[in-house]
Amino acid sequence: MGVLDFFRLFNRRVHPVLEENRRYFEDFDQEKPLSEYEFVVYDSELTGLNPRKDEIVSLGAVRIKDLKIIPQENFYCFVKPRRPLPKDSTLIHRITPEQIENAPPIEEVLEDFVRFCNGCLIVGHYVDLDMAFINKVTKRYLGGPLSNPCIDTLRLAQLYKEETWGNYYDQFNYNVSFNLTDLAKEYGLPEFKEHDALGDAFQTAYLFLYLVRKLKKGGITTLKELYLAGRSWRWLF
Amino acid sequence: MTRQDKKDVHSVTPEVIIDFLKKTIPFNELDEECLMKVAQNCTIDFFPKGTMIFKQDETEVEYLYIIQKGGVKIYLKDEEGMVTLKDFRGEGSYIGALPIIQGTKANLNVETVEDTFCFLLKKEIFLELIEDNPKFAQYYLKSFTEKFLRTAYQELRQHRVAPRTEGTLYMFSVHVGDLVKGEPKTISATDSIQLAAQKMAEYHIGSLLVTDEKGDVIGIVTDKDLRTKVVAQGRSVAEPVANIMASPVETISSHKVCFDALLTMMTKQIHHLAVEKQGKIVGVITSHDIMVLQGSSPLYLFREIVSQRTIEGLYPLSKKVPLIVRTLIEEGAKPNNITRMITILNDHILDRLLSLMIDKYGAPPVPFCWLLMGSEGRKEQTFRTDQDNAIIYQDPENSRKKEEAREYFSQFGKEAIEHLVKCGYPPCPGNIMASNPKWCQPYSVWQSYFDEWILKPEPEEVLNATIFFDFRPGFGSLDLGIKLRDHLTDLAKRQEIFLLHLAKDCLASRPPLTFFRNFIVEKDGEHKNRLDIKKRGLVPFVDFARLMALKFGIKETNTVERLGLLYEGEHISKELYTETVEAYEFQMQIRFVHQLEMMENGQQPDNYINPSDLTDLEKQTLKEAFGVISKLQSIIRDMFPMM
Repeated sequence: MGVLDFFRLFNRRVHPVLEENRRYFEDFDQEKPLSEYEFVVYDSELTGLNPRKDEIVSLGAVRIKDLKIIPQENFYCFVKPRRPLPKDSTLIHRITPEQIENAPPIEEVLEDFVRFCNGCLIVGHYVDLDMAFINKVTKRYLGGPLSNPCIDTLRLAQLYKEETWGNYYDQFNYNVSFNLTDLAKEYGLPEFKEHDALGDAFQTAYLFLYLVRKLKKGGITTLKELYLAGRSWRWLF
Repeated sequence: MTRQDKKDVHSVTPEVIIDFLKKTIPFNELDEECLMKVAQNCTIDFFPKGTMIFKQDETEVEYLYIIQKGGVKIYLKDEEGMVTLKDFRGEGSYIGALPIIQGTKANLNVETVEDTFCFLLKKEIFLELIEDNPKFAQYYLKSFTEKFLRTAYQELRQHRVAPRTEGTLYMFSVHVGDLVKGEPKTISATDSIQLAAQKMAEYHIGSLLVTDEKGDVIGIVTDKDLRTKVVAQGRSVAEPVANIMASPVETISSHKVCFDALLTMMTKQIHHLAVEKQGKIVGVITSHDIMVLQGSSPLYLFREIVSQRTIEGLYPLSKKVPLIVRTLIEEGAKPNNITRMITILNDHILDRLLSLMIDKYGAPPVPFCWLLMGSEGRKEQTFRTDQDNAIIYQDPENSRKKEEAREYFSQFGKEAIEHLVKCGYPPCPGNIMASNPKWCQPYSVWQSYFDEWILKPEPEEVLNATIFFDFRPGFGSLDLGIKLRDHLTDLAKRQEIFLLHLAKDCLASRPPLTFFRNFIVEKDGEHKNRLDIKKRGLVPFVDFARLMALKFGIKETNTVERLGLLYEGEHISKELYTETVEAYEFQMQIRFVHQLEMMENGQQPDNYINPSDLTDLEKQTLKEAFGVISKLQSIIRDMFPMM
C-alpha cells in the first residue's frame, strides 16, 4: 500500500481540484448552443478491459472550443501501472515496458488531468470504459469520481447510421463495425495512428465534429438537442 | 510523438498540423520555428458538404483556411444572379488569402462540395508570415496574378470578335519558324543554271539558296530569275547560277511573327525570305506560305486540297491542319468534332492522293479498298497520328489476274505510303501499312485473318490485332470493306472466348486514381512524373467501346458513336453514356491543348501530361473522369464473371 493510499484511508477529504470539478456542473445549463461549451475528447490505453484489475498506461486528450478542435490544447502522457505490463496489451497499443519504465505513476498526473478537464464535457468513443478507469483512480487518489457529463461518439455513430439508413432491415445487419478506425474510413475522415492515446483522441475529436454537424442534417444546435437525439434512440430499444 | 517536460502540462506539439504543412506548398518553405508558430495558432474545423464558408461581399475573413481533406468550389454571382464557377480547390489548397491581404470582405462565394476539414490559421499570424517570409509571400502573389490572368484570358476569349478576323490574328501569332517546311535546298554557286532548274523541278520548289565553297549561303535563285534573267535574255543554261542569283539573301529571324515577314516582303518587293535561327539559315518562306495563313478556316483548306492537281501539291497541306484545330478549340468545339474534322481533312488528302495516283498508274486490275485502322479508323486522329492502313482487293478470278493484282497493289501500296510520309504522316512503327505485303491482300485472305483472330484466339495475337477491329473503309470500292465488317461483326458477337480475351485486357490496367496530390504518373525515364493520358486515360474508354460494340454487333468504329449506339440499344444506361462521353471528351480536350501547346513551342506532340500544369478544377474533373474507368471495369467484370 502506497503512501497516498494510506493517506486516503485516514483522510476522506475530497481534493480541491475535484471540488472545483464538481462546482462546474452543479448548476448545469443544457440549453446553450453547442458552440458555447468546451469539450475534452479523451482516450486512454489500458493493460486490459477489466476496470477492476487492469490499469491505464497512457492518456490522451484534446480540447474543442466553439466546435473547433484546438490541437495545441492537448494532454498526452504515459503512466507506469502498478503491476507489470501484460504482454497481450503491448501487442495492441505497442507500448513496451521500457517506454513506461520512467513514466510517472497515475497519481502524479491525475491532478493535472482533472484540471485539464475541468469545466468541459468529456467526449470519448465508448466513453463508459475510459470513464470507469479514470473514475477508479480519481476515487482512490482524489476522493471521488469526475462530475463531467459525458458524450459517447459510438452512440452518436449508431444514431447517425440509423438516420442515414432509415431502412428497417439494415438495423439487423451485424456486419456493421463501430470501431473508431472503421468509422473514420467510412466517413472519409483524416486518419490517425491507431492505439495511441492522443492519436485516438484526435480521431475521436474529428469523428465528434463530423457527427455533430451531420446528425439531423446539421439541425442540432444546443446540447439538450444532442442529448435528446441520443435518448430517443435509446427508447427504441 | 515526443514527450515534453512535465512543466508543459503534458502537452505535445500538434503534429497532425505540422506533418501536413510540411507537405503543403508554400508552408514547406517555412522553417521549423515558423511551422511551430503556425501549428500553435491553428484550429481544426469541419464543414459538411454544401456549407457556405464565404459569402461574397458579406463574410469577414478571420482565418486562412487550409483544406486538410475535402474540397470547395469557388464561384461568383453577379447582380443578375448569374453564377460563374471560378475554381475548385482541393486538399492542400487554401482559401481566404486574398481578402486577408487586401483587408476586404470575402470577394467570392466558397462552398464545400465534399465533407471538408480545414485548418484555420489566424489572419494576424498569416499576415506576419507574409511579412517575414518573402518566398512564402511570393507564392500567394504569383497565384493571384496567374488566376487573374487566366480569368482575364477566358473573358477575352468569350468577348472575342467574329471569326472573320482570325486570319489576321494568325499573322500576329504564328512565328515565321513555324512555316518552315524543312531543310533549305541549296545549290553551289559554281553549278550550272540548268542544274538549278532541274533541282527546283525535282523538289517542286520555287527557289534555291546559293552557297559558296565553304557552304555559307551567299544568295538565292528563284524561278522568277529563271524566267526574267535566263529565258527572257537568252542566257546560256550552262552559266553558273552565281550570275543570276540575288545576293545577299534577305533573311528574317525565325521568332518574328508572320506579319513582320509580310511587311519585309512588301517593302522589298520580294517573295522569298530565308529564315534564320541562331545565325543559321534553316529554311525559306514564301509570300504564298503567308497568304495561306490568311485562310485558316477548314473550308479554305478543304478547297485547297480538292483543287490540287499534283501529288506534290498535297505534301504541305496536312501541316496546316493544326492551325485549323487551334481555331476550333478556341471557338469551343467539342473534341469529338475536332477529331472528326481532322479526319475529314485527312480523308480528303488521302482521297486526292490515291485518285491522282490512279490517274497516273491506270485503273487497278480488280476493285480495291483502302482500309484505315486504329485511330484513323475510329475517326479520332489528333496531330501527326502514325499511319495505320491496309489494302483489300477483290479476289482475282485466275492466277494470271492474281499475279497482276499482287504486282499492281504492292507497287501502289508502297508508293502511296511514301507520298503519305512526305505529306507528314509518320510511318507506323509496327509496319501496319499498305506497303507491307501481309496487309495488302485479297478479300479471302483478309477474311481468314479475322477468322483466325476470332475463332482461334491467341491472347498475344488478339491484343496486337485490336487496331484491326477498328478498321473503316477509306477509299475505293468501299463495299469490300463493308462486307468484311459485316462478316466480322456477325462472327465476333458469338465468340465468348475471343471477347473474354478483350475483356481481360480491359481489366489489365488500373485507372490512375485519384488523389489531388498523387496521380499515378510514370515513375522514371524521360516522362518521369507525367501522366500518359492516352495509355492511362483514353485507351480504357476506347477498349471498352470496342469490346461492347463487338459483343453487341455494332459496326460503328468511332468511340463516342459506339457509346451512343450502345445506349440506343439499351446496353448501357443513359447515365453511364453521358458520364463516359463527358469523361472521354474532357480527356481528349486536355490532350489537344497539351499537344497544341507543344507544337507551338516547336516540340513533337506527345501524350504526357504533367499534373502540376493543370488547375485544380482540371485535376478534379480529370479525377472524376478516371473514376469512370473503374465503373467501366466493374461493368465488364459483371458481364464476364468467369474472370
